[in-house]
Amino acid sequence: MTNNRPSGFANPWFQLGLNIICVVLYELLLKSGASATADPSKSWSWTGITGLESPLTWLAIAVIILDLIIWLYVLKYIPLSIAFPLSRLVDVLVPISCWLILKEEISSLRWCGIALVVIGLVIVAKPAARLEERL
Amino acid sequence: MTWWSLVLILVWLVTFVTGQLCFKRAMELPTGTGLKKRKTISILSAGILLMTISFFLNLGLLQRFDLSYLYPFQGLSVIIISLMAAIILKEKLTLRLIVGTLLITAGVALVSMS
Repeated sequence: MTNNRPSGFANPWFQLGLNIICVVLYELLLKSGASATADPSKSWSWTGITGLESPLTWLAIAVIILDLIIWLYVLKYIPLSIAFPLSRLVDVLVPISCWLILKEEISSLRWCGIALVVIGLVIVAKPAARLEERL
Repeated sequence: MTWWSLVLILVWLVTFVTGQLCFKRAMELPTGTGLKKRKTISILSAGILLMTISFFLNLGLLQRFDLSYLYPFQGLSVIIISLMAAIILKEKLTLRLIVGTLLITAGVALVSMS
């Protein structure tokens, strides 16, 4: 980690927080855009191309691009093996947002599955990020 | 959950991971001219193509499933990365990676039944 780390808005840890907010935001926007355009009866609907009819999907694309820029900036200052495990906070925030904001009904079986995935990710995030750095 | 959905989910994750690796590889290549430049551009184009496929498959899947149902499957992408590292880098998987992988797989299995 470099000592001449920018402060304030440019602080990489603050930007990492922004990255997490962006990911949750674009997942919710994509889901809303997809729900607004869902029509499984259409042929080729599995390609998802009809999702582009919703402005929410376009907003999601804008947030994805913004998030990519933020993420590349974060990686300039924080190594992937630290930034990646921290960024996995989204794995907790996304299901909670599904429940609170999208009002999805999440059964206890699904909550248990989500919990197992999150625990598994906590365990593998650091070694997996190390491997990815070398791939 | 049908077999077709499962195939789409796996293709969505594999294209996402390989697309990301293409981007990474393209950025690491030294900027040169001629052949080197052509190589960088082709890897970058492959990355963009793979990410686009992954994006639309994700959108199509979101039209059918809850986000809380689909999202946990993304945990599998970490497993795909570890497996690729094991194959390409001949890296031995540590006990930690194996335990985590089993937990993620079990969790995804529970979610897929919900």
